[in-house]
Amino acid sequence: MNAPDRFELFLLGDGEKKITEQIFTGMSNTSDFIMLKEDHTLGNLIAEHLKAAPHVMMAGYKIAHPNVPEVLLRIQTDGSITPREALVEACKQLVAAYGQLGREFQKEFAFRQIADQGEQANANGLNGHH
Amino acid sequence: MDYDPMMMEDDQALGPSVKIHEADHDSVHFEASNVELHLMNSLRRVMIAEVPTLAIDLIEVDENSSTMADEVLSQRLGLIPLNSVELDSVLYSRDCDCEQYCENCSVKLTLHVKCTSDEHMNVYARDLIVDPKRPNQTIGTPVITDPEGNGILICKLNKGQEIDLACIAKKGIAKEHAKWMATTAVGFEYDPHNNLRHTDLWYEKNAKEEWPLSSNAKFEEPKGEGEPFDYDAVPTRIYMRVESTGQMPPDQIVAEGIKVLQQKLAGLIHALTDDDQGGDAGYGGGQSPEYGGGDGGSAWGGGAAGDGYTTPYGNGGNQSAWGGAGAGGGTTPYGTTPYGGSGQGGWN
Repeated sequence: MNAPDRFELFLLGDGEKKITEQIFTGMSNTSDFIMLKEDHTLGNLIAEHLKAAPHVMMAGYKIAHPNVPEVLLRIQTDGSITPREALVEACKQLVAAYGQLGREFQKEFAFRQIADQGEQANANGLNGHH
Repeated sequence: MDYDPMMMEDDQALGPSVKIHEADHDSVHFEASNVELHLMNSLRRVMIAEVPTLAIDLIEVDENSSTMADEVLSQRLGLIPLNSVELDSVLYSRDCDCEQYCENCSVKLTLHVKCTSDEHMNVYARDLIVDPKRPNQTIGTPVITDPEGNGILICKLNKGQEIDLACIAKKGIAKEHAKWMATTAVGFEYDPHNNLRHTDLWYEKNAKEEWPLSSNAKFEEPKGEGEPFDYDAVPTRIYMRVESTGQMPPDQIVAEGIKVLQQKLAGLIHALTDDDQGGDAGYGGGQSPEYGGGDGGSAWGGGAAGDGYTTPYGNGGNQSAWGGAGAGGGTTPYGTTPYGGSGQGGWN
């Protein structure tokens, strides 16, 4: 009866912003990013990618409660770039990596289909000759 | 890294590469190498929960004198897989201009059956009649794979019992309800020989003898006896098996998953770079996961190998939104990304 609508897991409410930056004052060059209506899919992906990034000292994420679709992402940099710049760059690289993965997959899958069709044609040919 | 970028063939260049091990009409088993674990894990999560499909969402029951309650019947109808191949031509109902649902955002199926014989009668998915007024001519047809061509058994009727109802199938994602899942299962494995020791195998006498090897073990070499353990090693080869519900072919599920992820990331980039201009063009309010709606097409273009860099956001209408943020003022913001041919890997 009073259960929240399931689409509230992934649809932003009125006036909600996908991501907001909050400067974290406890550490130098550190920002918290709050992503609304997101989960481990983006949180883990971005945090893990940032851990390997140059100029990034620390990156981590948490989902405070499993029922609440909010991700907190904390990024600390060495000061030569802002956390926001590091995050944008990480997202761009990830889009690029997925693009490459997708093209690779599509290419290999197309080859595979051609090969399968060739095999089929061969088998049919053999049957024709008895 | 000791390699010469000029010496590399296209498919050996840095960045992920893919090898297909098995493929048929409803499943694909492949291996992605030179990828990071988190990259593939997010893809797995998205293929399970966020690839949109079509499923019956609304049912108007005119007559149901069967022994099955309306609610149970509705639940069963919702779970019937419907063809979702060209789902780009269907809108989400909540984004559509119509009042409740219309031909642009839904497919109507009707079921009218009555048992007149003394024998009981089976009602199958093939008895669902798809309304011809639908976004394209394949979408919404119930998936039927059994040799008899019956499809899923919905219920059984005795003499005189009748079912007459109309179903509205809508587009959705599995985060909302599992009936929208595009996959039945996604197998995911790395390091089949446990060389990285991420798994601690329980054993009585000898773990090697007591634990069967996975089917992926034949693709990799086990670590030799006495070889020192590499503490810095990370998984780079990931094996996946994507099994489709039959609503769309498995390669399309992978493609759609990648597209959804790219759209999620692009939404973040957009929100972060466009923030101070105040004009959050449609990303702020109640928007469906499919940002940008029409401009998508296939996320990786026509897939023409060797063409430079095409992402859904590079060439579509969104270009102006954050084109200026791209490094060097190239045509796309991704023009100078590490995989664009400069031969540099990620951050390194």
